Amino acid sequence: MLLLIFKIFTPVLGLLFQEQSQGRMALVWEKAQHPDLSKFLIIGALLFIIGVAGVLTRRNIIVIFMSIELILNAANLNFIAMSRYLQETGNMNAVAGQIFAVFVIVVAAAEAAIGLGIVIALYRNKETIWVDEIDILKW
Amino acid sequence: MYRYIWLVPLLPLAGAAINGLLGRKLRFSERLIGGIAVGSIALAFLITLASVYSYAFGSGAIWPNVYVTSQDGASYSWIPGGAVRFTQGGSARSMVAVQESAREEWAKRLAEMTPEERLRGGTISVLRGHNEEERASVLDVEWSYQLDALSSIFMLVVTGVGLCIFVFATGYMHGDPGFYRFFAYMGLFMFSMLVLVMGSNFLMMFVGWEGVGLCSYLLIGYYFDRPEAANASRKAFITNRVGDFGFALAIFGVIATFGTTQYTDVFGQAANFPLEPLGNWGILSWIALGLFVGACGKSAQLPLHVWLPDAMAGPTPVSALIHAATMVTAGLYMLTRTNVIFQHSQTMMTVVAVVGAATALFAATIGITQNDIKKVLAYSTVSQLGFMFMACGVGAFAIGIFHVMTHAFFKALMFLGAGSVIHGMHHEQDMRRMGGLRKYMPYTYLTFLAGWLAICGIIPFSGFWSKDEILWSAASTRYVPVGWIVWIVGTIAATCTAFYMTRLMAMTFWGKERFLDNQHDHAPGHEVHGADHETPTHHVHIPHESPPSMWVPLAVLAVLATIGGFVGISPAFTGGHHVGGRMNIVNFLDPIIWNPTTRFFGTHEVVDSFGRRPELVERHATTSVLTTEPVHAEPPPPYGHEGFNLAHTVESVVHKHWLTEVVFIIISLLVAGLGMALGWLFYVKKPGLPDIWAARLRPLYQASYNKYWVDEFFGWAVTRRTMDAARAVFAFDSKVIDGAVNGSAGLTRLASRVTGFTDRYFVDGLVNAIAAFVMRLMSPLFRAAQTGFTQNYALVMVLGLVLAVILFFGADITTAFKAMFATWF
Amino acid sequence: MVLSGWEAVFFWVFSIAAIFAGLLTVMARNTIHSALFLISSLVSVAALFILLHAEFIAGVQILVYVGGVMVLFLFVIMLVNVGEEERGQEEIFNRSRQVTTSVIFCGLLVAGLIYALNVGYEGIQKRDAATIAQTGAERRAADQNLAASATGASKITKGTEWVGNGLYRFGSLPFEVASVLLLVAIIGSVMLARTLKQEAAVDDVAPDVLEKEAIKDPELAEVPATE
Repeated sequence: MLLLIFKIFTPVLGLLFQEQSQGRMALVWEKAQHPDLSKFLIIGALLFIIGVAGVLTRRNIIVIFMSIELILNAANLNFIAMSRYLQETGNMNAVAGQIFAVFVIVVAAAEAAIGLGIVIALYRNKETIWVDEIDILKW
Repeated sequence: MYRYIWLVPLLPLAGAAINGLLGRKLRFSERLIGGIAVGSIALAFLITLASVYSYAFGSGAIWPNVYVTSQDGASYSWIPGGAVRFTQGGSARSMVAVQESAREEWAKRLAEMTPEERLRGGTISVLRGHNEEERASVLDVEWSYQLDALSSIFMLVVTGVGLCIFVFATGYMHGDPGFYRFFAYMGLFMFSMLVLVMGSNFLMMFVGWEGVGLCSYLLIGYYFDRPEAANASRKAFITNRVGDFGFALAIFGVIATFGTTQYTDVFGQAANFPLEPLGNWGILSWIALGLFVGACGKSAQLPLHVWLPDAMAGPTPVSALIHAATMVTAGLYMLTRTNVIFQHSQTMMTVVAVVGAATALFAATIGITQNDIKKVLAYSTVSQLGFMFMACGVGAFAIGIFHVMTHAFFKALMFLGAGSVIHGMHHEQDMRRMGGLRKYMPYTYLTFLAGWLAICGIIPFSGFWSKDEILWSAASTRYVPVGWIVWIVGTIAATCTAFYMTRLMAMTFWGKERFLDNQHDHAPGHEVHGADHETPTHHVHIPHESPPSMWVPLAVLAVLATIGGFVGISPAFTGGHHVGGRMNIVNFLDPIIWNPTTRFFGTHEVVDSFGRRPELVERHATTSVLTTEPVHAEPPPPYGHEGFNLAHTVESVVHKHWLTEVVFIIISLLVAGLGMALGWLFYVKKPGLPDIWAARLRPLYQASYNKYWVDEFFGWAVTRRTMDAARAVFAFDSKVIDGAVNGSAGLTRLASRVTGFTDRYFVDGLVNAIAAFVMRLMSPLFRAAQTGFTQNYALVMVLGLVLAVILFFGADITTAFKAMFATWF
Repeated sequence: MVLSGWEAVFFWVFSIAAIFAGLLTVMARNTIHSALFLISSLVSVAALFILLHAEFIAGVQILVYVGGVMVLFLFVIMLVNVGEEERGQEEIFNRSRQVTTSVIFCGLLVAGLIYALNVGYEGIQKRDAATIAQTGAERRAADQNLAASATGASKITKGTEWVGNGLYRFGSLPFEVASVLLLVAIIGSVMLARTLKQEAAVDDVAPDVLEKEAIKDPELAEVPATE
């Protein structure tokens, strides 16, 4: 396992410290100084994946809800970044992205309210918040 | 000062809002609630007084011009024109063309007028000319208040009489658990009524109209725990719906015809329409018909009068304020406001006069036999409203409004007096259990006396001046051919009025103290008992005088009922013309009343009822309503044809104009005296007579006692028919429609049975065989997938996502990874 | 929309903060810690919104999420029992098969998405470069005309005004529908979160269920059927 990690990270370390990659490193440094749309989208994608991983791996249903909030936030970040980019290109409907974000937030709030209500009802009936103990779907 | 009239409706609304919203919290102090209510009305009254003074009498007076609040630029577009443009579509364009031509014609006529004429006849129409361009295109309704002669009189009556009644109500409603609710409704009513009379367009009038209807409903049903009050409130509401339907149709007609609802614009345009003599049904006649149906509903005219007597189930101050002094006169207000439209249609004038006269007589005869003190007053109100309609119908709109005013004084007085009696008698309303109250309630008696003399029409009291003028106008009218019939009916109704009012006085205040002998069969009171009247000694009901908060308003109203008539003193006493300049109500109302003969606004004095021009002129510079031109020829009657004119005939006998009127005054005084004498004879001198005559005129007595069975007739003709129709529709529904549905259902069942048979034995057999095979084979696989564990299912979703990415970029990603590792290793 | 200077610095600071806080949210043992890390992640994302000139959304994000939703989370955490987890007696992750599969899938997804974004963005950039250069100049010129703020250090932008305009002019129907959604959510959560006793008080429980429960909890039987 450690070997695998080392093998994946070596190219990255080499990227930073090897003499022969001077030109490439300068390019990366240049790009890092001027983050553009793709960086925002990548951040959004990372948040999304973190959220997905949380949903899939955690047992605590409240943390799963929090992960869902993370996913929604990643979507919002995408919306806003795209909206900004479209503003740059002079698209008149660019503001729609921000409006979508508002609605996403509304839906997230409604979802949180209902979801947590369900959590409480569930906890009251089954005395548990572990998802793997809630398996009455398999009847 | 008159620029502040917008405050007048807002103050009662504020009071009502405070009482209605915070009333439950303020319940600890009736003083506070009453103070808020009375204070808001008093302030509104003071502002009204100051506004009317500065509008009509002060140094900067603009009477006879109209003041609309939007004139100052601060107009609030209630229904903005742009919003309607979408719905109006193409028809708006054609309407503009029509208005365009009408406006050009009017402009041409204006150019031909002398400056003086322009001021007199054209003021109302040219007032808003500066922004007519935008307004004419689409319907644009603004929320603005209008101050002119008519609305100022109504504002004064509504706030002034309302103030007296509010003060009275603080005493009358003392101890009632719904004290704050009562005053919230009353304040809301005042607001609606003021919007009704102050609005500057038909839609605002309609808003106020419905508002007072709602408040009337709420207040009639104030004691909602009593079924008769609840029923009465519903009855009032539903009966008023009939009238409101007509009113709404008329408003649609006005919008379709004139393209606007603003009074000044509508009447300016309507004045140019051709007259429609008897039997011609032009558009204005139809509009007038709709308006009249509305007025009938609100003002309880035949045949929509049935709700008003039942409305007496509400508290007595409500009866005084809403069902005597103000709301029921809204119909009169509307008639007078739209007098241009009505005067264009001789047919509708005749209808108004005839309906008014019929109502006056009809209600007066019913009033003779009623025993409930409030019922008598209710029928008296219906009858007096008939008199007012009669005045409007014969073209004497100003006199009708004059009677509205005096009637507000004396009828409010009598209702409040009745309320005081009921209060003093511990909620006893049956006059047969009263009598001799003069001794016990001296203030109430004295004030009631003034009201009695006023309504009977005894000479210096207010009722005399207005009622006499109405009868005189009917006799001398040149507007309708049936003036003499109206006069005869009105005179008989006046006799009846004097009779039943004397009867009421005699049974209540004079004679034997009947409440002393009838203690034991005392029926439960008609009004619920206030908390402070729950006396343990229920049988000892010695009447007591009411507190000052009740008799002081009575005294104020008594003074008004006594001297209030002098603002419209009869021309017969003052040399044949209305003296006093604009202090005289007839002159004051002049500018809003259209004259079909001259086709100008406000030229009442230019042509009198005989078509002659009077000698009198007022030489005051600003009162240019009156002309200084010398008298020339007799103009023709307005509609070209004039039937039998009673006054004209009498004058041809006595040869003097003023003497003719004196003759009619003497007749009306005589019939009043006759009625009073008969009443005195029947109920004081020989108390046995009523029973004898009731037996002798049994059918008539029964008819009157049962109110001519109008309620029963409506019950049979309307309610029962509606039920029958509903039953018929239900029968159709259950037999025909349900039958069809059931029949088709039966067919379907038959068909399905056949299909079911095939299905069960042929198709199912095949399917089952295959299914059994597949199940054996596949079920372990699928069962393993169904873990019942949510996150497993979510994992499958993510798997789909990964597959999607691989589908799009899989090849690229593998090459990229290959390239990367190839570079570094 | 290429950031530079301090904006770039802030971008890296906040994006790294967002990702780390997100990771910690998922990995924290204590649920309260999870919630607090989620808050920091959300705040960081809000900061990214500000970098993207979406000040209004940033404000909404902080107010609604941090102020509203997260408080709700914290309350619910307090209502349910999380003691065992905190004491380290319970495994916080699923059985290992599920976790391994999930992590592999997520890794694949990350790699694929990042690659796709990098590749795809180049194409977009090529397509839009000319437009951006042109409109960018116009925008800078227009920005010169904006009113200066009170301190004079910055300009008052129109971004929020546009959002408001767009929201009410083109999004008014969804806006109203969203309000209905929120109303339904409120009512729904209130109805869901009632105790059996509260339900019994308004006569909202099937009689047989009530009877069964009343054996366990005698107080239930005494609740009046209607209030």
